[in-house]
Amino acid sequence: MMLVFCFQTLKAEESDASGRLLVSKQILNKYIVQDMDLIVKYTLYNIGNNAATKIVISDTSFNSDTFEHAGGQLKATIDRIPPGANVSHTVVLRPVRIGPYNFTAAKITYETGDESSKVQEAVSSEPGEGYIVAFRDYDKKFSPHLLDWGAFAMMTLPSLAIPFLLWWSSKSKYETLSSKHKKNQKD
Amino acid sequence: MSNKNKSSFTKEEELLLQDFSRNVSTKSSALFYGNAFIVSAIPIWLFWRIHMIDIYASLLSFIVVTFISTYMVALAYKNTKFVLKHKVAVKREEAVTREVSRKLSEDKKMSKKEKDERILWKKNEVADYEATTFSIFYNNALFLALVIFISFYVLKTFTPAVYPFYYKLYDSYIHIYIYIYIYIYIYIYNYIKGT
Repeated sequence: MMLVFCFQTLKAEESDASGRLLVSKQILNKYIVQDMDLIVKYTLYNIGNNAATKIVISDTSFNSDTFEHAGGQLKATIDRIPPGANVSHTVVLRPVRIGPYNFTAAKITYETGDESSKVQEAVSSEPGEGYIVAFRDYDKKFSPHLLDWGAFAMMTLPSLAIPFLLWWSSKSKYETLSSKHKKNQKD
Repeated sequence: MSNKNKSSFTKEEELLLQDFSRNVSTKSSALFYGNAFIVSAIPIWLFWRIHMIDIYASLLSFIVVTFISTYMVALAYKNTKFVLKHKVAVKREEAVTREVSRKLSEDKKMSKKEKDERILWKKNEVADYEATTFSIFYNNALFLALVIFISFYVLKTFTPAVYPFYYKLYDSYIHIYIYIYIYIYIYIYNYIKGT
C-alpha cells in the first residue's frame, strides 16, 4: 500500500484564535505504472479555532523528466478552510520512466485567520519511495489477453482439427464396415 | 557385403521392408516437417503477446530454437507413426479385405495373388494414412499442451516477482523459452522411444 499517513503538526503560534492545518499527501494507486494515471490526493484539515485563508498548495516534487502532467493543478489556491473542515485536492500525473522514485512532501502556505495576515509555511506528509513499473510488465500480470488467446486458438485449431478429422473419417469408415459385417454374420 | 544382401531381395520384398521400416517417403517427410514447423512456430505468438518477450531482441534465438523444435517434433511424428502403423494395420485388416474384395468381385480375370497384393497394398495405404494423421494430431496436441503447461505453471517460479515497488526488471525471458523446448524434446523423445 502506497498510502502513508503521517500528519505533521504545524508549528503555528499557540493561539486559540488561529487556524492550524494538517496536510496529508497520498498516492492513491496500488501500482504505479508507466503511461498510466497516477492520482495524488492532498487532504487539508483545519484543527484550529479560526479559519485558514489564502491557502496555497505547491508541489514541486514531481520531476518533469519522470512525470507528465495529466490533470489538476500542482499549484492550487484555496480561499478559506473553516475550523474543523476538510478540503481535498487531487492531481493526476502520468509517469514516463520506470524505476524507483522518492515521493516527497508538498509545500503549503496559508494565513492563520480571517483577520490575521501572518503567513504560515507548512509541509505535507511524504508518501515515501515507490517503484514505477513498465506497462508491459503490468499488462503481462493483469491483462486477461483474451484477444491474444483467441488468436492463439485460431492458429492452433487447424493443426489439431485437420489431422484429427482426417483420422476420424478413415477410422469411422472402416469401423462401420467392420461392424456391418459382424452384424450380418450374427443375423 | 551389405550390397550383396541388398541385391538378394526381390523388388516386392524391398517394398514390403520399406512399408515396415522407420523410414518415411519424401512426401510424408515434407508433410511432417511442414506440420512440425507450423506447430513449433505458433508458440512464438504466445511468448510474444502473452509472456511479453521482446521478440526483436531475441529474434535469432527464436529462429534457432524453432528450427531445432521442428526437427524434434518431426522425429516424434515419425516414431509415433512407426508404432501406430502396425497396430492400425492389424485393426483394419478385416474391413479393408472386405472393401477391396467387394470392389474386385466383378473382375473375374484377376488372379487370387493379384487380389491379395491389392488387399495388402490397400491395407498398407490405410494404415499409413491413419497412422500419419493420428501421429500429427497426437504430437501437436501433446506439444501445445506441454508448451502452455510448462510456460505458465512449471517455469513461472523461475521468473522474479513483477510487483512494485522493489521490482527488478527482467528483460530476457529467452532462457525460459529454451528451457521449455528442452523439456518438451526430452519428454516427447523419451516417451516415443519407450513405446
